[in-house]
This record gives sequence, C-alpha cells and structure tokens, in this order.
Amino acid sequence: MKNSSEPKHHKILIANRGEIAIRIMQACRKLGHAFVALFTEPDRHSEHCVLARKLGGEDSLYRVSSYLDANEIFAVADQAGATAIHPGYGFFAEDYRFARRVVQRERKLIFIGPSWQVIRELGDKINTKRLARKLGVPTVPGSDKPVTDDLEAEHIAKSLFDFQKEQGINNPVILVKASAGGGGMGIEEVADLDKFRSTLRRIKNYAKRQFRDEGVLIEQRIFDFNHLEVQVVSDRTGQNPVHFGTRNCSVQSLGHQKRIEVAPGFDPSSLRYAFDARKVLEDITEYSLRMAREAGYDNVGTWEWIVSPTGQPFLMEVNTRIQVENGVSARIATIKGKGDVDLIAEQIRVGLGAPLGYSQKDIALNGVGIEYRIIAEDPDNKFAPWVGRITSFGWPEQEWLKLHSQVPTDREYEIPTDFDPNLALAIIWGKDLAEAKARGVEFLNALKLEGVNASGEALKSNIDFLRRKTETILAF
Amino acid sequence: MIDVKELLRELREEPYEKIVIRAPHSGKVEFVASEPGVRVVGPGGTWKEVPGTLLARLEREQVKRPINAPQKGEVMSLGDVQNGQFVQAGQELMTIRHFLTKEEVIARILRRSLSLFLAPEKGKYYFFPEVDIKIKTKGSQTVHVEDGMELFILSRMKRETSVRYTGPGGIIYAVYFETNDSVDRDAPLIGVCPESQLGQIQEVVSRIQSEWEERD
Amino acid sequence: MDIEKRIQELRDRLKYILDIFGPDENANVAMLEAKLGEYVAREPGLPKQEAIRQLETLEELFKFLEKKLERELTPMNKVRIVRHPQRICLKDILENVYDNYTEIGGQDDYSIDPSMLIARAYITRRRGKKVHNQAVMVIGQEKGHGQEFRNGGSVKPWGNAKALHYMKVAETENIPIHTYIFTPGSYPIEDYPGAAQQIAKNLYEMAGLKVPIVAVISEGGSGGAEAIGLADTRIMMSHGYYSVISPEGAAAIEGRLRGGQRADTKLIEHCAKQLKITADDNRANGYIDWKINEPELGARPEHYDFFRKLRKSVISSTDEIVLNVSGLRLFRSIALKRHKGADVYVRWSLNTRAKERLLWTRYMKFRRMAQHAYLDKRHWFNRGSEWTSELFSSLYSYFRYDLFGKQHKKVTELAEDVHAEMQVVVGRSTKLWNAITSRLSFGKDKKDVDKAGLTSLSVWDDGAQNSGKWQYVSPQAKLDRAVPCPNTSVHGCLDQWAPDLFGEWAGVCSFCGHHFPMEYQWYLHNIFDPGSIYELFTEIESTNPLKFEGFDLKLDEAKRKTGHKCGCMTFEARIEGTTVMVAMFMGAFRGGSVGAAEGEKFIRAMERARKKQLPFLSYVHGTAGIRIQEGVNGVIQMPRCTLAVRRYTEAGGLYLVLYDTNSYAGPVASFLGCSPYQFAVRSANIGFAGPGVIKETTGLDIPPNYHNAFQALSRGHIQGIWDRREIRGNLVQSLQTMGGRNLYYR
Repeated sequence: MKNSSEPKHHKILIANRGEIAIRIMQACRKLGHAFVALFTEPDRHSEHCVLARKLGGEDSLYRVSSYLDANEIFAVADQAGATAIHPGYGFFAEDYRFARRVVQRERKLIFIGPSWQVIRELGDKINTKRLARKLGVPTVPGSDKPVTDDLEAEHIAKSLFDFQKEQGINNPVILVKASAGGGGMGIEEVADLDKFRSTLRRIKNYAKRQFRDEGVLIEQRIFDFNHLEVQVVSDRTGQNPVHFGTRNCSVQSLGHQKRIEVAPGFDPSSLRYAFDARKVLEDITEYSLRMAREAGYDNVGTWEWIVSPTGQPFLMEVNTRIQVENGVSARIATIKGKGDVDLIAEQIRVGLGAPLGYSQKDIALNGVGIEYRIIAEDPDNKFAPWVGRITSFGWPEQEWLKLHSQVPTDREYEIPTDFDPNLALAIIWGKDLAEAKARGVEFLNALKLEGVNASGEALKSNIDFLRRKTETILAF
Repeated sequence: MIDVKELLRELREEPYEKIVIRAPHSGKVEFVASEPGVRVVGPGGTWKEVPGTLLARLEREQVKRPINAPQKGEVMSLGDVQNGQFVQAGQELMTIRHFLTKEEVIARILRRSLSLFLAPEKGKYYFFPEVDIKIKTKGSQTVHVEDGMELFILSRMKRETSVRYTGPGGIIYAVYFETNDSVDRDAPLIGVCPESQLGQIQEVVSRIQSEWEERD
Repeated sequence: MDIEKRIQELRDRLKYILDIFGPDENANVAMLEAKLGEYVAREPGLPKQEAIRQLETLEELFKFLEKKLERELTPMNKVRIVRHPQRICLKDILENVYDNYTEIGGQDDYSIDPSMLIARAYITRRRGKKVHNQAVMVIGQEKGHGQEFRNGGSVKPWGNAKALHYMKVAETENIPIHTYIFTPGSYPIEDYPGAAQQIAKNLYEMAGLKVPIVAVISEGGSGGAEAIGLADTRIMMSHGYYSVISPEGAAAIEGRLRGGQRADTKLIEHCAKQLKITADDNRANGYIDWKINEPELGARPEHYDFFRKLRKSVISSTDEIVLNVSGLRLFRSIALKRHKGADVYVRWSLNTRAKERLLWTRYMKFRRMAQHAYLDKRHWFNRGSEWTSELFSSLYSYFRYDLFGKQHKKVTELAEDVHAEMQVVVGRSTKLWNAITSRLSFGKDKKDVDKAGLTSLSVWDDGAQNSGKWQYVSPQAKLDRAVPCPNTSVHGCLDQWAPDLFGEWAGVCSFCGHHFPMEYQWYLHNIFDPGSIYELFTEIESTNPLKFEGFDLKLDEAKRKTGHKCGCMTFEARIEGTTVMVAMFMGAFRGGSVGAAEGEKFIRAMERARKKQLPFLSYVHGTAGIRIQEGVNGVIQMPRCTLAVRRYTEAGGLYLVLYDTNSYAGPVASFLGCSPYQFAVRSANIGFAGPGVIKETTGLDIPPNYHNAFQALSRGHIQGIWDRREIRGNLVQSLQTMGGRNLYYR
C-alpha cells in the first residue's frame, strides 16, 4: 500500500532468465523503468543477455553463480542500486521467505508479486482449501486438515466412497496423500475400501520418514477433468481484484506439464457441453475474486480449478505469481477499450504501488487465444527431452501471432540442459474458436525448427503433437 | 609411436600448470595473497581437512567467505580486480602456477600417448556392471576393450542409455571420470593402450619416475 | 669391588633425585651431585680404608639430605615421583601385599589391555591354629616400571570394561574388591565401548556393587581414576596425587595454549600447587579417608616396610567396611579399636541386609562430600524448613504413590480386564446381529453420507502444528546477514538468511540439516509447555573452593553474563501435561563445566524426582567437562552424581539424557553416560577428550567428524539422534515408551 502519486523511476532487478526475463525487460522499458538482469555462465549466449545488453547496456547485466542463490540476487541488487525485484515465475516467485527478505532486510526493496503474507497463506494447500471452504468455495471432497487418527481416516475414506456412489460414480476412487508432501510424492490411489488400511499405513510411514509428519489428506480422485484457470489482478490495497477471464490448460504432457493453453476456458458459443459451461466460467471467476478479496490479494495471481465431466468445479490451488501463460489471457482482453494488454507490465505497475485504475466493467474479453509451448521433446517417447543444438528457427510474422522465445533466429543455439525446456511460446488469436484453430495450424505448419544432437540425430519436437491436439481444443 | 622425448621436452619448457582462481560468487573481494610470487599450498592434513593458503576473502550479504588455494604453487599474476572491488561470479581473481609432480607429468603424457575415448555427450557415465566389478576388484588394466563393445551406461536427465566403445582394442590403462560426476561432452572417459604398446608405456612411466625433478 | 657397588648405588639414588627435582634449582641436590662427583674423582687415589670411610660419610650425607629433600617436595615433585619408572607398581603390590595371586586375562603384552591388570589374590590370616585364606579381587592399572606396552597405565575403554567384568564377578562370588589406581588418565579414544561411556558404566555399576570396595590411589588422574575409584574406603599414598587433570593439561588450559604448544615449567608447577592434588590436600577436602606414609622420596620396590604397611591398611579397611554394615558392628569394632593393629579375623562376605546397608553407606559417604565447595547463602532456618518440607513430601509421595497408588492401580487393572472380556462377548453378539439385519434388510441400505464433513470447513485446533512459529526467537535471527553452512563444500548448501535460519528453521540448515547452535532459552521456551517451568535450588552457587588464582574474577564474569549462579539450572516443567524434572547444563556458563554446585543441584534434583516419582531429563546444552579450577571438588561429582542416578533409576525412574552442541569428558564419563537412554540433538559432538587432547596424549590424528553424533550412534554410545524441531515430540514419545515402573503418570 505504497503511496506513489508522483511516478518514481525504479530500477528493477530481474531474478530470472529466458522468455520471462525478456518480457519483464520489455515491460520495464514500456513503463520507463531501468532494469538489472542476471545470467549464469551456461546462459551467457542466451537471448535474454543479448536483449539486456541491447536495451540496458553492459552495466545492466550481471553474472551470478546461480539463479537459485538469493544472496547473489541481493548482492547484485545492492551493487546495482536496484529498488525492486521481479522474480518472474519459478525460482523465487512463490517463495514467501524470499519475498519477506526483500522487504525486511536492512536495505529494503520492493517485491513485485503479492506480499509475503499472502504468498505464505495461499502457498499452503491446506490453508487455501480451508479458506475456500470458509467462503463456500467448492473444493475437492475430502479432508481439509492433516488426518493422523486411523479411525478418523477410515471414516473419511468410507464417507468418500459412499459420497461418490451417491453421485452415480460407478468406480469410486480416493487419493491418500501425505499432507506435507507435494510434487506427486507420497500419493496413492485407493479403489477398494478394503485396501485402504494398508495404503494408509504405507503413506503414513512414508510421510513420517520423509517429512517427519504423519498427517495425511484423503480426497476424492476426480477423473477426466478439465484444468481451468482464472487470471486475477489486484493492486496493493488488496481490495479491488479484477479477473482477466479464464484459461483452459487441459492439454498436457504425460508428466502433467501444460502444452496448450486456451482462453477462454470453454466456448459454449461453438461447442456443446454436458453442463452449463457459461455458468461454470462465471462461478469460478466469482469464487476466485471472493477468495482474493478475503485474502487481501495484492498482485497478479492465478486460481487453478478442475472441472469434472459433470460440470462441477473444484478449487485446486492458487499460484501466487505471474504464469507462463499470462499472455494468452492478455491477448483476448481490452481495458477501457484498449487492446495490447500486458499483464507483466500491469504486475510491475501495481507491484510498485500504483493503483489499479480500472474495475471489472472496464475489462472486455473477445475472441479466442491459443498458446503453444514449443519444446524439443519426443511426445512418442514419454515426452523425453531432446538435447542438442538448434540450427534453424524461424516463422513467418503474422499480425495475429506473438512469439516469445530466448532462442536466437540468426545463429545456432545449444539448448541448456539445466532449466525448463520451453523453447518458445506462440500466442495465436482468432475472432472465434474456428479461426483461432485454423491460424494455429497455419502457424505450426509454417514453423521452422531444426537441429542436431551429438549423435547426429535430427531434432525432435512436439509440433506434431500440438497440431494434433489443436483439433479438439476446448471440447469436453 | 610415441615421441616421449619430444613430450618431455615440451613439459620441461613449461613444467607447471596454470590454475585460474575465479570468484565463486558475487561480492566484494579482499585480497590476502596479493603479490605475485607468494607461495601457496593446497589443502593438507590426513583428511585434507586443513584448507589451503588463504588467497582472498569474498564478502556478500555480510558474510566473508575464504577463497583458499586448491594446489601448491605460487601466485603468478593477479586478475584485473582492485582490492575491495565488487566482482561478479566467475570473474578471474588470480592465477596460480602449480609445478607438476611426477604423477601429473605421467598423467599428461599418458593422455597424449594413450588412445582416449571421449564422452559423446554430457552426462553421468558408469561402466557396465560386469566391467565395473572387474575394475573395482582387479583394477582397470585387467579389462580388455574392443571396438564396438558396450562399455558404458550414460545417465542423462534420469534416462539411461548404453554407449559403445569405439577405437583401437587394448586394455583400459587409465580411467578419467568419477562415478556420479557429470562429464562434459568430449571429456576423456578412458585411455586405452593396445597390448602391443604396453611395454613401451610402462617404460615411459618408469623413465619419468626416475628422471623428472619435482619443484616446489 | 664393594666400593664400586656402593658408588653405583649412590649414583642411582642421585639419578632418582635428579629425576624428581628435574629442572628445579635446588642447593641440596647440587651439593649431592658435587660431593659424589668429587668422591668419584678422588676415590682411585685413596687408600682403601680412607675410601670406605669417606664413602660412609657420603652415604650419611645422602641419607640426611634425602630426609631434608623429602620435606621440600612440591606437588610437582610428587607428580614426578609417581610417574617415575622406579615407582612401585601393581605387580610389586601383588607380590608383596598378597599371599598368593593369579593374574586374570593377561600375560605381559598378551592382554586385551596390558595397562589394566586383574588378579584373584588372597590374604592369609592366622587366628591361633586356624588359617584363613581371604579371597580378594584385585583390580588396577599397571604401569610396569615403564614397560612400553603398559601405555603408562592409560587404560583403553576395553580395559575398563574388563575391570567392570571382574567387579561383577567379585560381586557374584561375594568377595571384596581392592583397586589400585596408577593412572595418568584414560586413553581418550571413542572406539567401542568408548572411553567416556565405559567409565560411566563402571561408575554406575560400582554405585550398586554389593561387595566392599577399597581403593588405593597412587596416581589418580581424573576420569581414569574414577573408572575404578568409586570405593567405600579410599586410601591415598602420601606421595601420590589425585587430580582433575594433569598439571601440564591445566597449564595448557590456563595458558590458553593450542596445537601442541608446551606450557612453561613455572606455570605447570603453579597449576600443580593450585589444583590441591596431594594426599594431604585431598585428606583435608575429605575426598580420601586416610593416607599411608611412604618412605622418603616415595615408595620403590625395595621398600618392604611400606608393603607391610599397605597390607595392614587394606586389610583393616576391608574389615572396617564389613563391620560397619554387618549386624555385629558395635561389638566387633570396639574390639578392633581396642586391639589396634592386632589382626582380628573378620569374615569378608556379606549377607543380604548388610549389602543393602553397604550401598546406603556408600551413597551417604559420597553424598556428604564437597559440601564446602559450593555456596548456599540461605539462612539456616530456611534450610531447616526445607528439610521438613522434604520430609513431608516424601511422606506424601509414599502415601500417594506407594500405598494408595498401588491399590488404585490394582483396581484399575482389574476393571480393565473385566471390560476387555465384556468387549469380546458384546462384540461377538453385535457382529452376529449386524450380519442378520443386513441379510434381512431389503432394498437399499439407508446411507447417511456425511456430505458436509467432506466439503465444508472442519474444526482444526491443532496447537502442535507450529509450522515454523516458535515461542522463542533467537537474537541471532534479528541480524540482516547471510549465514554459511559448514557443510557447504560437501552438500553445496547455499548461505541462508539469518532471520530464516534462526527463526523459522530453528537453526537447522534447510539444505543438509546441519544444526547451528541455539541458545538454551530456545529449548526452555519451545520444548516445555508455556509457563510451566518452575526453577529449583536457585540458592546454590558456584564458588572458588581452591582459591584458584584469578578464578573468582572469571566466575563473577560468568555469573554476570548469564544471570545464573552456576552452570546447571534445575527445574520442574511440564511437557504435554506430564511433569518432568530437568537438569540443564549451560554451555554459556564457564563452558558448561561441572563443579560442586552443579553436582549438588543435580543430586538434589535427582532426589526430588525420586521422591515425587517424576521422569528426569538431563539436557546438556553443552559441557566442556569437569571444572578444572575446582580440582577434585569437581572430579568427585562424577561418582557423587552417578550414585544419585543409580539410586533414582533403581527406584524405577526414567532418566533421559539429551546432548546438544558439545559434550565432553567427566560428565559424559559419569552421570550422563550412564543413562540407558541417551540422545543427541543432530550435529552435536559427544566424546571423552577433544581432538587436541587426543593428539597430545595418544599421538593419533583424529578425523574431523570423530565426535559427531552419528559416529557416537554408530559406536553404540547414544541411542538416537533427534532433530531440534522435534525434541518436544520425541520427548513425549520417550515418556510414553521408556523408563522404569514407578513413574506416576503411568
């Protein structure tokens, strides 16, 4: 809640790399702020370094030992005289301790992201679930606190089976997971109530060993769901959140990594759904804003939802950061009739203390946006990453196309192996779903991406996979 | 054929290795060994528990971390850095001249005279289990390799593939990688010596043992 | 030829004197040296008669000056006497004091530890025509007149284990034990059973050993001496020393020397004097029962008179112990006193009641020691009222737990049994009923799905879920600085921000789990129930009983800095409602060293816990060992406190020990190491002697993590390692699963 009636010039340290670093630099330039960029030795030829030199000069670029060492970031921030830190996504974006250190150290900086208290509160899945339930927001049926008592656990498990049967689910399944776990560790499915006891014991033992906490969560396993998101933006008052519509991120790799994101989340105007899709979209945006207001949410964030085949939405979690796919929501939005919305610029603006300056009624959404994540991987072989050198990369420019990439188009590029494998994000816009899909396919057909690895094998990418999946976008 | 004489002559001309000391992270540097010519020693003690000579301190976020000499030698030159200056990670602080020991000279000569098999890709390498057991129990020099033999397992991004040895047949004279360490592409994995040249190689080694004079 | 021999003898005597007086300037020694030199030079030219006459004069002079030198002996001279290769050793004693013996488990260097010697021996006593062979177990360190393999009487852990084994054998055989202490200290290695841990075991067992024990001290070096020194009667040879540390060691500490630097002889001499290590000092302090006078300049193997004296002493001591505890005490001891010196035969085996009395006498003997070595500034009236209140509380506890408690327990147990049987019967019938009804019921079961429970907010009032919010936050967490982890080179830990590390993470590295030291307050506030700490015995205060130079100042400084009167804080506190007695040793107070005040507080806390039937926790925030400036006043806390532990655990208590940071030496080698339930906070170091001392005494290089808790666990010294953030939970778990029968909360 900083008062910044007069615009102040900031120097923003970008604690990230690649595509997001580039977009933050561009947003800084747009807003008239200086920036400091970081790189590590293996990244020295990365496009974000090239661009940082171009936009900010040699002095705006610092070499650090690791993007993950907070001390490096602060040392550079102090040396370069930065006034704020933008964490991007990944790395420190959702680390409330980092956010707290930014604002509590002796030389204080501004953290461009939600306040650390918000990150802490909504970063905890159990906390989030309880907040949702407190506000009447639907969550996945099951426990909303760590269960340690075996009898209680069994009672919950039995209720969940009965509950699902009552809803006409023939083969009910429940999930037992370590409440302190995450990232797919310590989770098991139980389809047979008789086997619950042994599963529970196994998970509890695992959790006790691994996390020194034997609490478990027991939830309904929901099958064949769609993954939707609500993009929320709010200023430092935390009281006036708006949303930028919904996204559907149901096209994913085997490891549940998103590959295509589409805005809006459903398209009832051209597709038939087994439920009232319009109402679902309205509901989840309303629920998301309700929670944002309650939590005093004060920056950009994403509420993640799963929607069951019968059209029931359940809140999954809140991502207290800008997301990779923010651009696809921005692409279909206008604010007070003005297009070319840049959510990252908005994030920086409100992050530095400016008031939001518009309300929900000023935001209009039109058309359909599709975002492709272009990745060197082999979708036929469990999405195995492909490592090698990109020899040629290019695409015809289109006014409906926006492409973000750290891969240079004018020279060869060795894919760094240490980081997430996105090569490029392509955002396509069409006035309706049919046009967006047609343009998407057109783009993918024209995209040139070639390379070779050490054994002389040609580059493998997910372009075919993306093309194939474009057919059924938003169908459910 | 190996021209040992020529190799030795080359090494005698420059009987040392240059070790560049770089800033391990960002921070303000404060030199301790700030003069060229200062003698330094590497880590010592039975368990290498005594750190090497303190070369500099690097201060970051109110913590001063020591930078110690990794090897015995002398400070050759200082980098283009002022005392008290902020340095970025990886910046060159100084160069240390480390005079080669007999073992190091032998290793160098072997590297140039053995047939090296290079890592085709970056990753972690392991020997095939049978080979691994043989190496661990009887030493690498009991293992005979042939062109096209499946010798390594390459582990990269949690996937494992087998790697075939290509090159002349012979015994594995030297192993250049450690299990669990990531090996860069084109770094040597093993040095192979054809059985016919084994006698010659051993002769070279014993010659260096007797002829090379170590310097402090 | 005769002259030659006699000259040689004088030469040897001079050499011995020179060894004893060493570097000291001494006119008498110089005179002897000069006179002997002169005589030797002159002798070949003298006529035989004259030569003999002059030699006799010279011998007289030697005799005279030796007597004179005897009176001038400094403590350090005595240290040199007991360390001299000519000093009598245990083998000499076995040969000359006992009538027959068999060495057990050793033939020169063929022994598990040649520095520890065990022998079954007997003493023959004639009463009229009857001959009694009285069996004794003789245990002691053997220096073997400088035999290399004897290691100077520095016993390895397994040597002490051997000693313990044969003490237990003696107990089984119901024969007395005579121990002879000839040790500069224990060999400080951690290999199983571990120097400290084995000494602790020895002390704990000796505390309850049901046979008379007589200890004779020649060289009583600290922990090594205690390993066989907890005796009913402790005799000391007049030229011996009994000390907390070698004078050299004390000087190294006083002079703050590191890395094998040698202290200068002045400082060593000074420390030897200050430590009050001689027989007279120890007699005055009450740590030995009597001293045996040795011949001038110390007993050597040719001093047969001395052996006779020693024989008499150990026999009469054993007699007295037995008479004191057996029923015939009064009559027999009168008789014994009347015929002072007369060899009245006393049988040395004890009956059951006598054994009980023996243990009680032994407990009280040590309980009464060191009372002068701490301050208790309360008015005598308060002390008196404490005594009455203690009496009252022990009466109360008798009624509450013993009389009523036992009955109550029986009734409850009965009720539980009945209840359990009912359950079986009822369970069977309900099952049957359910089976019938389910078979009979038609259509759908009525299912009352608890939908609300699955989808709406539940009640969650779990206070244990602190999720990084601690009651007490370390001042270290208030600094804006990064903290490097010592394991960075191994585990690649990044520097962590002090407020995160010392706040939320409780000083635990989030990368490798290394535990940075935390203040003891952290434990007080984050382990025990808030506001439940009730401090006890606060009036007991550390002092400077030996008037050790400069120590008053240091002590005042420690008191001022910590706000505590000694290094041990004793309190009752609750943990999830269960009251526990806690003795906490604070590293901040003189390195957590243990002296008379700390020991006294510990014992009182133990006694109170026993009476109130509370579990007992020793939380060692850090201890460097026994406080050397208190000398034997400190060392004696080892047997004293261990006796208290024994008494407590025998009464059915639960004694837990939790080590944190660094715990070394005496305390670990006694009242801490004797607990069957010792745990360590991760990253703690536990051991007998630090790496510097080990290097100095053994010449061994010690790997950097030698004393690390994980090593201690691997060696079997401790029973588990706890994460700091889980101490509370682990304590609750321990209270539920461990310990003796008499804890009230069971």
